[in-house]
Amino acid sequence: MSRERLIADGMVLAVLLLWWLASLGMPEFILPGPWPVAKTLFSLFTTPAHLADTAASAARVIGAVVVATALGGVLAYLPWRWPLFEGIVHERIKPFLNSFPSVGWAILAMVWFGTTDLGVMVVEVAILTPFCLINLSEGLKELDAELLEMSASFTRRRRRVLLKIVLPMLLPYAMSAIRIAYGVGWKIALVAELFGVSSGLGAVMLQAQIVSDAATVYATCLAIVLLFLAGEKLVLDPLSRVVAYK
Amino acid sequence: MATRGRAGRRSRLAAHVFTAGFLLAWQAYSLAVEPYVLPGPWPVALRLWEFLTTFDLFKHAFASLAHVAAAMAASFVVGTGLALLAHYVPALRLAVHGRLSPFLNSFSGIGWALLAIVWFGVNDLTVIFAISVVLTPFAVINMREGLDTLDAELLEMSASFTRRRGREFARIVVPSLLPFVFATLRISFGVSWKVTLAAELFGGRSGLGYLFNLARQNFDMALILAVIGVIIAFVYSADRFVLAPLQARAARHHAAAA
Repeated sequence: MSRERLIADGMVLAVLLLWWLASLGMPEFILPGPWPVAKTLFSLFTTPAHLADTAASAARVIGAVVVATALGGVLAYLPWRWPLFEGIVHERIKPFLNSFPSVGWAILAMVWFGTTDLGVMVVEVAILTPFCLINLSEGLKELDAELLEMSASFTRRRRRVLLKIVLPMLLPYAMSAIRIAYGVGWKIALVAELFGVSSGLGAVMLQAQIVSDAATVYATCLAIVLLFLAGEKLVLDPLSRVVAYK
Repeated sequence: MATRGRAGRRSRLAAHVFTAGFLLAWQAYSLAVEPYVLPGPWPVALRLWEFLTTFDLFKHAFASLAHVAAAMAASFVVGTGLALLAHYVPALRLAVHGRLSPFLNSFSGIGWALLAIVWFGVNDLTVIFAISVVLTPFAVINMREGLDTLDAELLEMSASFTRRRGREFARIVVPSLLPFVFATLRISFGVSWKVTLAAELFGGRSGLGYLFNLARQNFDMALILAVIGVIIAFVYSADRFVLAPLQARAARHHAAAA
């Protein structure tokens, strides 16, 4: 194990070293060295102006994940409760959302909502919803039928069954829906923000690309990697341990 | 899949009513707003016909397809190579699965596209590179899954028949991995379409993403919607009628062999 670790961390170091060596022979606007990139990366989390952009992106991603999970949940619930919706949700809405190109949403949202927060959120929600829908319908399909039958013999109130039985049993699936949506969310955050929004990491990156400030382009990419990993390790992993425990 | 019987028929009917309602709502709303905000279904259908019959427009679909195919091939080779490397050289396992693959997996596709523009300029290489890098972690993760589930007893038996590792690899390992190969290709195909357009929009001189950019600059919403329609139809039918049956067949074959 320790040898594996040595090789893995050695590889990371070797890549950084190679990067540094390569950057010596290249102009700054093509390949800046690790040090200027690290400095810019640091400033993305510390300078107030940059921090506002980072926070704006993070808030949009988190908001979109929450809305998409709720929307996906409702869409998954409809055909489960009323089979009449089966065709509408699984044969129309799901494949439609699932194969809709994300850039298409970005362009449409820009025309429809202008360059606003709402536009970015709509794009992210539209892209994330099918992932949540697929996971949550899978969860509803796997629900324990005997447990449901038993609960029906205890109470007639559907809402009670929903709250006490269905939702707790769905939690692990909701968790994996949130996990997937969170990962995809960060990946498409930039797509959603690239078209003329004035705040967020996408805006910072596009601005940097226009003035060929390569260090900032690299730093924004790495900032997203860091934010993604931080959210997963600090929030999602502990949360799914809690959920799994129940 | 729609259920059979009366409930299934009613659900299918509801789905058709939903489609008709959707088109109707679109038509009604398009009358209320400017055509550059939302053109109605009919102008979009006309533009779609024009797209399908004009070579200068349609060639972009071929360009995108070529980008996707090249990137799928490249990422499959690289991803499988990495997964095999980690499998057969255990010392590298953490380096591949604990460092490289999570890094690639959390790196934004647009980020790769913008970096590739800086490195390679605006051309096909940039587009293919950006898509390939995004697809590679999917291939690594899937092929690892396959290698982890290799049947140890089967391998042991094969070792008693031959000492040649190459023979064992071709006769036992590759066939066992086949279902995972199809799963990888299917996932790659689905993801690649989402990245390809973004990569072409920023870093390409051809392809549907490039066409998007042209149409966006000309406020040609009808063309944008027509292209989106083409993509949805293509992605959906390729997945449903080609990749899903292929994968099911590979899985059956695997089940029969095991």
